Amino acid sequence: MVGKNYEERFEGLADKIFKNAKADELEVRISHNDSALTRYANSKIHQNIARNNFNLAIRAVFGKKIGSATTNALDEDAALNCLTRAENIARNQRKDPDFKSLPDVKGLKDKKDIYIDKTADHSPDQKAEKVKEIIEMANEKGVDRVYGAFKTESSGLFVANSHGVEGFSRLTSSNITTCAIADWDNDQGFGWGEMCSADVSDIDHLHVAKTAVEKGLNNLDPKKIKPGEYDVILEPLAAKDILIYLDMMGFSAKSVQEERSFMNGKFGDKIMDERINIYDDVSDADMIGFPFDYEGVPKQRVDIIKEGVANKVVYDSYTAGREKDKESTGHALAMPNPMGPLAMNLLMDTGDYPLEDMIQETEKGILVTRFNYCNPVHPVKGILTGLTRDGTWLVENGELKHPLKNLRFTQNLIDAFNNIESIGKERKLYSMGYWPAYFVSPALKISDFRFTGTTEF
Amino acid sequence: MRDLVVFGIERLEKENVAYGDVRLCERKSEVINVKNGAVEAIKSSESRGYGIRIFDEGMGFASSADMSKKGMKETIKRALKIAKASSKVSVKVDLEEIDIHEDKYTTPYKIDPFEVGLEEKLDYLMDVDERMDIDERIKVRQCNFKAWKTFKEFASTEGARIEQDLIMTGGGLGVNVSDGKDTQKRSYPNSFGGDYNSKGFEFFKSFDLIEYAEKTAKEGVDLLDAKQCPKGKKDLILDTNQLILQVHESCGHPTELDRALGTEASYAGTSFLTPDKLGELRYGSDIVNIVSDATAEGGLGTFGYDDEGVKAKKVDLVKDGMFVGYQASREGAAKIGVEPSGNMRADGWQNLPLVRMTNINLEPGDWSRDEIIEETQDGILLNGIKSWSIDDKRLNFQFGTEVGYIVENGEVTELIKNPTYTGITPEFWSNCDAIAGEEDWKLHGVPNCGKGEPPQTMQVGHGCAPARFVDIRVGVGKW
Repeated sequence: MVGKNYEERFEGLADKIFKNAKADELEVRISHNDSALTRYANSKIHQNIARNNFNLAIRAVFGKKIGSATTNALDEDAALNCLTRAENIARNQRKDPDFKSLPDVKGLKDKKDIYIDKTADHSPDQKAEKVKEIIEMANEKGVDRVYGAFKTESSGLFVANSHGVEGFSRLTSSNITTCAIADWDNDQGFGWGEMCSADVSDIDHLHVAKTAVEKGLNNLDPKKIKPGEYDVILEPLAAKDILIYLDMMGFSAKSVQEERSFMNGKFGDKIMDERINIYDDVSDADMIGFPFDYEGVPKQRVDIIKEGVANKVVYDSYTAGREKDKESTGHALAMPNPMGPLAMNLLMDTGDYPLEDMIQETEKGILVTRFNYCNPVHPVKGILTGLTRDGTWLVENGELKHPLKNLRFTQNLIDAFNNIESIGKERKLYSMGYWPAYFVSPALKISDFRFTGTTEF
Repeated sequence: MRDLVVFGIERLEKENVAYGDVRLCERKSEVINVKNGAVEAIKSSESRGYGIRIFDEGMGFASSADMSKKGMKETIKRALKIAKASSKVSVKVDLEEIDIHEDKYTTPYKIDPFEVGLEEKLDYLMDVDERMDIDERIKVRQCNFKAWKTFKEFASTEGARIEQDLIMTGGGLGVNVSDGKDTQKRSYPNSFGGDYNSKGFEFFKSFDLIEYAEKTAKEGVDLLDAKQCPKGKKDLILDTNQLILQVHESCGHPTELDRALGTEASYAGTSFLTPDKLGELRYGSDIVNIVSDATAEGGLGTFGYDDEGVKAKKVDLVKDGMFVGYQASREGAAKIGVEPSGNMRADGWQNLPLVRMTNINLEPGDWSRDEIIEETQDGILLNGIKSWSIDDKRLNFQFGTEVGYIVENGEVTELIKNPTYTGITPEFWSNCDAIAGEEDWKLHGVPNCGKGEPPQTMQVGHGCAPARFVDIRVGVGKW
């Protein structure tokens, strides 16, 4: 858990650092993360862990020379040693002509936490009980092998700089996944369920497990289908997998400035179906995230794709400083960061179609639960490849005809988002997993989605 | 061995756990990125802490950065509580027996990368950057240096007491080019940050980035006007800096025993190499030999002992084309009756050790790279990792490289862009008909292999020489 006294503790340490600093500008960032994760496989808990760590990061600036250092030791000696390292690096640095200044934004203290005590305090016993219920429920339905993970975490972020920026915020997050394998011996019957919330009380572990088990049981004896262009129905999780890569390939100012975004030269142009609205907004009721970024700038809502038009991208202070009359939108990662800014609270507007109606109105198409191992083939063209996973079905005449062996797609995503047939009316929150980024996505029906290969399961 | 580690082991022994270990790590790193004539980032990082792993009625792991004895006691208490919770839904774990060691290991190196001055490194990288500035179509020039130093102490309730000092060093350069219509990239000695090894600063200098800066930049620009990769079936020659990815994804991951036993099913996936296929499945042609070798000199996956105290070793994974071995933990080894392979590795002090690659190497063959090209009538030669994707059993893969070259009638004739190829793992390796020999064999490092929940990043090595695969589908997708 992130202690209630942490703000005071971090402020006290930052004060000592600021008092000893020689740099013209200085940024102090202190973060804390306490997480617990119970993994289960073959219907047994096999990995069960807890981690607790702090991180102190100091960015020192002399003129236009910048140095950074980090440590996870929060005693005064270690903190001052970290300061010395950052300042020494900065002194020996080269000038960065594009660097303007550390941010100068006040008023962060009014921002609220998304912190649920029940999530932060959730015990290993409570997790084990829920895993046990998942296994029992799956067994009752005849599935004796379930896999997954149940994670809770609490995080705190303190940022202060020599211009008077100062903020502290806490958040919690919980996430559960279940993968059912209904026929292990014959390597088939894969199904998936997943749920994420700031409040662990919202996690309906049995609903997640039921979804996975039912999908697994409906995914026996999958058949091969010839690769080609098909109408595809992406469940919200599969749509999220696509959304992540649109974000990575094109939604940051840095990717535009380096001319590696599919948005380059297209601002103001309609590049997707007019029903597509994609935006970053940490204040959305469904979203999890700190209200300010890693350099202390409040996160603004940024309408990235508005009614299909390439509208805006997200900025940190550095990328904003490289353009005329631009300000940071509050999307800095921990600096310095070669990736640049990133939209970490990305949402896509819903439409008016229940998933069931999408299926019913499909003459011939493919229903996808989620994707595996996607990777850009050509970011500027927006071409992505990846495979279906944990439940793919052929839809014919409005019904699920039979499960399909997994398929590889290689698809231009901009083309795909121009071929939108319908958008789901429900949306779901997902954690990215690798980074503390969150995505809210509806289901999507897309025509002429290009599958380029099949696999054996 | 530090008092804190000894204190931790004594507490675990007092708790009478069936098995426990304490693993303390201190790591420092230095990163320098230069981009377009400016230093994009210089960062010095330090992290230290310890992890407590317990196997009793259930398993528990807790980690902490609190280096006091009080912190150690609380962390052990937390790990015990977790192990007790696990016991509600688990079976008792058997660990395969191993030799117990008291030992010290240090990475051999010539020049400590942390003793080389920042000024010298910056001067070098800025010089490299300037030499890449040869054409206005080059939108991004970047070069970088990175080094890690890790000190580890491992002690177990079985009596192991191991200390290790490990060093890793590397870097590289690259350009992104654009003419407003197309964008391409080119890197050296490999993409995604370059190449890495368990060696000192001498390894970084051996790349001779100064020499390769202009050449790499020029090839990046040339790609803009290059022809699109042809579609269809071709003989495929992979240079070492792409073949390592092929080995990593299609042999390294599927021979991880935890995947084969299902314990990564909900995240990274499983494996087509299930235990019933051990010794039975033809993985590739009979010239294909692949090993897991933590003893390879200078490899990014080279060390003295793994993170459960198993001494570094070399293990056959594929022998004469047959699937013959796994990368196995003590727990996994006990389940299927094999020896632990010394592949348990944790990302830092805070994470649980998992089955991870060490150096997964394709053994050299008896051709030369030149001979392979001379004996190819209708092929393409690919170089430089660009895009990769593979299914969760590691069968269907599709990879893209930075550059390709047409090979016609024994000669390299033309540069091509956006090359991609796809295949099914055992079919692909069965089509391997030529592997170059020792003189073309290189040991590369991949510093960013992801696995596990919570996600862990591992530094792994891959050695190989260029190889040819016949009749492979290339030029996938609509361009």
